[in-house]
Amino acid sequence: MEAKEKNQFGSEKSHGDHINIHSSGTADFVTSSPILSASMVEAFFTPGLWNHHTSSCTMSFGESNIQTATGGVNRVPIGKPVAMSDRGMLPSPPLGEFPHSLPHFPVDSGFIERAARLSCFGCGGFRGISLLDPSHSVAPPSDASEDAVGAQKAELTALSLPVEHENIKGIAMNHKRDPTMSHVGTSNNESREGNLCEDGQERLTGSADAAGNSSSGDLGANKRRKATEEMEEEEDQVLRGLQLSTETTKDLAETKHKSYIHSGKNTKDNSEAAKEGYVHVRAQRGQATNSHSLAERVRREKISERMKCLQELVPGCSKVTGKAVMLDEIINYVQSLQRQVEFLSMKLAAVNPQLDFSIEGLLAKNLLHSHGGSSSAAGFSQEMIYPQVYSSQQVLAHAGISSMLNPSDAFRRTVNTEIPMASGYKETSLQVHNSWNEQLVMQMAYGANPPLNSQVISRKPDGFTMQKDRSN
Amino acid sequence: MDSKGSACSNPNPNPTFGPSKLMLAFRFLRALSIVHRTTPASSPTCRGRRIERAAYASMAYSAGTSRAWSRAVLRRLHHRARRRAVAPRRLSTTAGNRAEALRRLVPGGAGMDYCTLLEETADYTKCLSMQVELMQGIVDSASSNGR
Repeated sequence: MEAKEKNQFGSEKSHGDHINIHSSGTADFVTSSPILSASMVEAFFTPGLWNHHTSSCTMSFGESNIQTATGGVNRVPIGKPVAMSDRGMLPSPPLGEFPHSLPHFPVDSGFIERAARLSCFGCGGFRGISLLDPSHSVAPPSDASEDAVGAQKAELTALSLPVEHENIKGIAMNHKRDPTMSHVGTSNNESREGNLCEDGQERLTGSADAAGNSSSGDLGANKRRKATEEMEEEEDQVLRGLQLSTETTKDLAETKHKSYIHSGKNTKDNSEAAKEGYVHVRAQRGQATNSHSLAERVRREKISERMKCLQELVPGCSKVTGKAVMLDEIINYVQSLQRQVEFLSMKLAAVNPQLDFSIEGLLAKNLLHSHGGSSSAAGFSQEMIYPQVYSSQQVLAHAGISSMLNPSDAFRRTVNTEIPMASGYKETSLQVHNSWNEQLVMQMAYGANPPLNSQVISRKPDGFTMQKDRSN
Repeated sequence: MDSKGSACSNPNPNPTFGPSKLMLAFRFLRALSIVHRTTPASSPTCRGRRIERAAYASMAYSAGTSRAWSRAVLRRLHHRARRRAVAPRRLSTTAGNRAEALRRLVPGGAGMDYCTLLEETADYTKCLSMQVELMQGIVDSASSNGR
């Protein structure tokens, strides 16, 4: 069994950083999941169990264990080494590596289990994890259900996520914080929309939540939870070890017992955002490792991240400290914005009863304001606008009333004409660079573009662009 | 049109900007013209309210349905359209519970947890500020051009 495990390790190791421990343990884990104990073998299984649940796990172990190429191979979590299709790769060269690292780690069944599990995370830097596995002869499970693989992958990715963070949050698989997990997981949007804050951490948490949620749904989740419960004591060690492994194997040995806070920052490859995975919480040194407190910490971290994002959004809040004051500022700001909308809408109702507005002018102004565009662009666009107005003044006759003509069509035509005209405004287009394609979409959305006819829409000579006859 | 795209560089410093300003502008301007066309000039208040609703609608459409607040806004608008009721949005910040005040402010905030609430608030604030900028720009251009 050991040899087999070692082979598996080797094969996986050959793939790269990830620890391929799990490949062999899957089947065994499944069978013995409820029996997880401190035995090394069982500890080894856990990775397999994990493998079980992550069908998408690209770990080679998944492949080696599962005869059939799992779909998970394709969905390699970020930073995960490419799954190796050929189990046979291997072993000796990587095996040679193992012995070096092995002695550094305590042969702790729980630790191993954690390490094995963590190794599934497939972080690029998790070389150290593999250290743990070879030392323990655990029969890897032979089968891996798709769920297991998928969950594993999720966990793997999740683990990679926290690397960036100071803290590893989450723990999808280990904790029975079902309500928290489910809650966290449900907001899958967070993983994607966490980018809102353009914060890597945000994405990590979001994706971790998603992973956590998905993992909780796994079939083997229960089994894993049981197993993890028993290992909870050593979880920190394992997590720490895992975390460290991402950095370097050397660091692993040194920082095994230290807080991982800074370790994660080194591994950028793991920090791919928006990955679904568990957010693993790492209990820092001197902190409670209770599952509830860990969950609380995760939650607090998320909240503080979001508060930071909000702080950037609300003007003048960079120096405000404290959540209460910050919240007050945010509430005031949102209220003021809403009041402004109301006020401006009243103003718009009164001021412009019958006008088609100049898109170009608006865009130039708005976008110039927002992007700090050059004044030349503004002048440029306005120059183009006004001549049109003056030239068509003669045509308009029905001063404002004729605009009742067909404002919506006029608007369309305006849009159609003005957009092409605006095309000449390179400066203006600079501001709207990213919107031009949307503009096209907008045009298409308007339906069949009415042919640019010679109909002139009379407008007040107030600077609004008028549609001119194209032939002019 | 394509020439524009090819000619322009990308000075946008914020590539992950939320809903596009241009889309917002189009939607809002279109709605604005429709409102102006359909409401009688004798009731500027009514028109103002419609414009305000149009502003929120265009904001919500631009943000997409992936956001809880945009869904809540659209839901509220559709229901209002049927029941013809105007939702009072007078809010007061009680020092006691800021989270509640925030929930009342942000559409759809009542049913979400605190973390999500903060996230939605950030996105909502972004869109709101864009909308305000747009409306201000319209008013400015209208007032400056309409000597």
